Amino acid sequence: MLISLDWIKDFSKLPSNISPQDLGLRLTMGTAEVEGVEVVNGFWKKIKVVEVTEKVPHPEADKLNLVTFKLNEEETFQVVCGASNVRVGMKAAFAPIGTTLPIGLTLEPRKIRGVLSEGMLCSEEELGLSESSEGILDMPADTPLGVTLETLWEKKEDVLFDIDNKSLTHRPDLWGHYGMAREFSALYESDLENPFDESWSQKMEALFNEESAPMGVSVHEDSSCLGYYGLSLDNIKVEESPSWIKDRLLAVGLRPINNIVDISNYVMLELGMPLHIFDRDLIKGDKVVIKEVGEETSFTTLDEVERKLLAGDTVISDEEKPLVLAGIMGGLNSGVNDKTDKIFIEVANWQAARVRKTSTRLGLRTDSSMRYEKTLDSNLMYRTLLRTVELVKKVCPEAQVIGKPQYDGQDLSKDNPLKIDISVEVINKTLGAEISTKKIIDILERLDFGIVHKEETLEVTVPTYRSTKDIECVADIIEEVGRVIGYDNIEPQNPLLNVEPVRLNPLQELRRKAQDFLTLHTQSFELNTYPMVGQALLKKASWPGSELKLLNSLSVDQSEMRSSLIPNFLEVVAMNAKNFDRGRFFEWGRTYHHEKEGYASEKHILGIAYFDKEESQILNLLNDTQRLTKFLNLPIDIADKHPKFKNELVDEEWIGLHPFEFKNLRVMGKMKGCVMSVHPALLKQFKIKGHVSIALIDMTGFEKNAPKAKVSYKPLAKFPSSRFDYTVVMNTEQNLDQIFSALKKVKLAVKCDHKLVTTYQPDQETYVTMAAILSDPQKTLPGEIIKECEEKIINALKKAGFPLKEG
Amino acid sequence: MIEQLDSLSAEFVGALESLNDEAAILKLKSEYLGKKGKVSEILKGLRNATADERKVIGPKANGLKEEINQLVATKLQKIELEVINKKLEKNKIDLSNRDELWLQKLNHGGVHPRTLIQREIEDVFLSMGFEVLDGPHIEDEFHNFEALNIPSDHPARDMQDTFWFHDPQSDEKEKKLLRTHTSTIQVRGMRERKPPFRFIAPGTVFRCERTDASHEMVFNQLEGMMVGKDISVGNLIYFMKTLLKEIFQKEVEVRLRPGFFPFVEPGFELDIQCLICKGKGCSVCKKTGWVELLPCGMVHPNVLKAGGIDPDEYNGFAFGLGLDRLVMMRYGIDDIRHLNSGDLRFNSQFQAY
Repeated sequence: MLISLDWIKDFSKLPSNISPQDLGLRLTMGTAEVEGVEVVNGFWKKIKVVEVTEKVPHPEADKLNLVTFKLNEEETFQVVCGASNVRVGMKAAFAPIGTTLPIGLTLEPRKIRGVLSEGMLCSEEELGLSESSEGILDMPADTPLGVTLETLWEKKEDVLFDIDNKSLTHRPDLWGHYGMAREFSALYESDLENPFDESWSQKMEALFNEESAPMGVSVHEDSSCLGYYGLSLDNIKVEESPSWIKDRLLAVGLRPINNIVDISNYVMLELGMPLHIFDRDLIKGDKVVIKEVGEETSFTTLDEVERKLLAGDTVISDEEKPLVLAGIMGGLNSGVNDKTDKIFIEVANWQAARVRKTSTRLGLRTDSSMRYEKTLDSNLMYRTLLRTVELVKKVCPEAQVIGKPQYDGQDLSKDNPLKIDISVEVINKTLGAEISTKKIIDILERLDFGIVHKEETLEVTVPTYRSTKDIECVADIIEEVGRVIGYDNIEPQNPLLNVEPVRLNPLQELRRKAQDFLTLHTQSFELNTYPMVGQALLKKASWPGSELKLLNSLSVDQSEMRSSLIPNFLEVVAMNAKNFDRGRFFEWGRTYHHEKEGYASEKHILGIAYFDKEESQILNLLNDTQRLTKFLNLPIDIADKHPKFKNELVDEEWIGLHPFEFKNLRVMGKMKGCVMSVHPALLKQFKIKGHVSIALIDMTGFEKNAPKAKVSYKPLAKFPSSRFDYTVVMNTEQNLDQIFSALKKVKLAVKCDHKLVTTYQPDQETYVTMAAILSDPQKTLPGEIIKECEEKIINALKKAGFPLKEG
Repeated sequence: MIEQLDSLSAEFVGALESLNDEAAILKLKSEYLGKKGKVSEILKGLRNATADERKVIGPKANGLKEEINQLVATKLQKIELEVINKKLEKNKIDLSNRDELWLQKLNHGGVHPRTLIQREIEDVFLSMGFEVLDGPHIEDEFHNFEALNIPSDHPARDMQDTFWFHDPQSDEKEKKLLRTHTSTIQVRGMRERKPPFRFIAPGTVFRCERTDASHEMVFNQLEGMMVGKDISVGNLIYFMKTLLKEIFQKEVEVRLRPGFFPFVEPGFELDIQCLICKGKGCSVCKKTGWVELLPCGMVHPNVLKAGGIDPDEYNGFAFGLGLDRLVMMRYGIDDIRHLNSGDLRFNSQFQAY
């Protein structure tokens, strides 16, 4: 929103020695964010009235003239001019070198076809007075020579503050210049001039009379109307507004239309409350009715767009049709036009939420709806009405009020202003500052709060226009004081605090440790992927959809919550395989699951993926996962598929599962994770060449109970151990796990550790060389015991189907 | 005899000089020091020597033995070293050829840049006694709006900003949504604790917003809260300045101005002086010299109440931080979409080694 400093000065005499930038900064630091400060209309004081003394053709160009003119009896200038209406003796507007015109052109000394031009004689268009013009401005012959247009036309330099609307969300009172002026007055401790006092009201009310009002007002209770004033005036002459109105509207970015429409905008910009003026002749019947639309209907607004109204939208209607979309925009059918001579002024207040709902639905945000959305104070209606009447009378002195204002809606006299008791101590304690009672009272009074100073506390009466949404409790009063004092003037204070140990919770510790392990020990990169997925991806991955679907997703690719990291991972591999032959990554992410109780649950899943164009990484991933779980002290062991206990993260029937490369990660009997490879047939769907292995671990549940380290010290052996190596034969149907489980069952008299030494597969069969390490903490093993153990081990393996390799 | 010993020494040195073979050297050694060696032979004559002569010859002979041993050991060592060095030369490693190894194996790893920044901030706050919390992504209206003093007609509840699982206009009891801010964790944190307490809450949030280089629908925030008796704006400023000093590793110029957020009162925007232009004004700070970084404020009494805390007894402050914004500022990342892209060309730039 643009705020004009010139307009502010109508109400607040600010110190004159402050730069526009500093004014903007103070407003930013005390009230609302100023996004830009612009000095405008500085050109008026540079442009002066001159008289043309000579006109000769340009020697080099047919259509150009060399025009000489005088500023006074001593100073003459020459410019190159193409305008056809230039004549000797003409009074014209001269912009010298250095002037920046409203069209954005800054005049520089330049030669036109070899002749130096010392500035410019301006047209109306170049001065921003009209949208197009022919020839230069031809001023009356009696215009005094040498005066600036600033003086001649009472044009003023102005400063515009561009204020961030978002920072005014809670301040409906700042949507008009008068409210802003109050802020400046409080920030600069300059007095606010209130022209709208009691005697002013009486003067305006004197215009009302006993004639019967030609237009009545009726408000239906179920409408969004909080209060509605209507007033009729006759003898209106619609014409162009005087320049003081036009200039101000233009300055803050509004296009002047005609005097009556301009007045309604002017009053809104001044006092912050929108209003609407009808051509009364276009209202059928003798009253306006404010009611909800009964059924779907179409309505053409002032901007000539036909809009669909729904049951529940509030409109202002005559006996035939809707005239205005309440609080948003008037209709094309009843607006003021050139022929209007009778008007009906509407000043009303509407329920913020309902205005917002309708305007949002229609995508129609207007100056009016933006203000009503902020919740306006109904007490401001009457002042707004009087100010409108004042300006109409000023612009059309012939205008005549017919009767009195008509009102329907809530009883405004019942509104009791909000009172808040607050102690100076609380203010200072909360801000962490030392502000005197006197200063606090001064600040609040300048902001129009009423103060009754009781012994320990201040009883603060909140102006009604501040308590519609903004001010409601002690904290709000503290803000008023704090922001005027300036938060930057509060010193940082290190508080006195209890000392207690803090650390990350067990899950956060796990996460950090996992991140460190995977990056440092497995050469992986951590990624983040989207928690939402779409049907296309799920279909490609043959992964079931979720019931957790977004009602208003922005894209079909992110329309529901993921139930697994796997589809994301496949997508990521497919993308990265274009740039990398192999890679490793992991994500600590969430998956989302529909629940009957409480709608949804979330799992913390650690996913790790290895992809490689050449060889399967399943063994590396298995080993790395095992090392990782050990590092994290997770009570996890690696287990095969189980007929009864199914994997909880991956459906074992999923067609993406590799037929042989799959292991469960078992936590206390539950399959809370897996290490597996993706089936090449599915990889084909993603156009991935090579191998992809993925490990998933469900970390949910470790938030509260940290896994404990299980390291325990054993005394070092005092006696040497004895080792023997042997080689057995394994066929293609067998595996190493079977050898180890057979060895586990062998009962020996002494301690024995079994180790794999090497495997060798010359042909169909595999030779597995194992080592048995025998030891006794009490003594060196005698030869016969070693012999006995050897025999038992070899026999056990033979029984289990692993005969000793011959030769 | 003494002369004999001296000449023997010279003779041995001469003989050793010409030998370059381990066996020959050992043989030479035994010729001198063996039981029937030259030294022993000479020493046999000791029997005929006088007591005074013995006093001289004894040590002299021992000295000669030691000398021979020493010379042999040194010579053998030298030969061994030559052999090893020859081998080494044969198998010389080209130290300039490191790239080949890089090519064959994966040699790098690293965490996500978000993790780097998040850890830094967590550690700063842990060191000042703040816990670290998180909560569910799928939330309800109460935690995301009501408890944060965002009434039902607030624009934030519109379809535009929030991803909904249930129609916000419907009559369903618990309308679920994706949390739009980490402030939901404030609510949960308050309800699970008794003042005084302090915590931060980094986490993923969701906004129903079209994505572009500076907007994401999934991004990360970091929330902080401290509740106790007589907490002041001055305390808030202290913690914010400390945080910024730790993050940027230098004193950063800040300014605190009014800002409106329903869940704090008074509410502030904390700006930092633009790090690019140092306050002079540039395109990053939109010519203002300041960059908006941290919305914060004193916790609104209604929010405390919703958190089960008596606002007459306790108060506190809260702040929020765009974690992703900070990540982008720190590393000069030009497009926020990289953060969730899973593109290893991006992530592998953040290698830890």
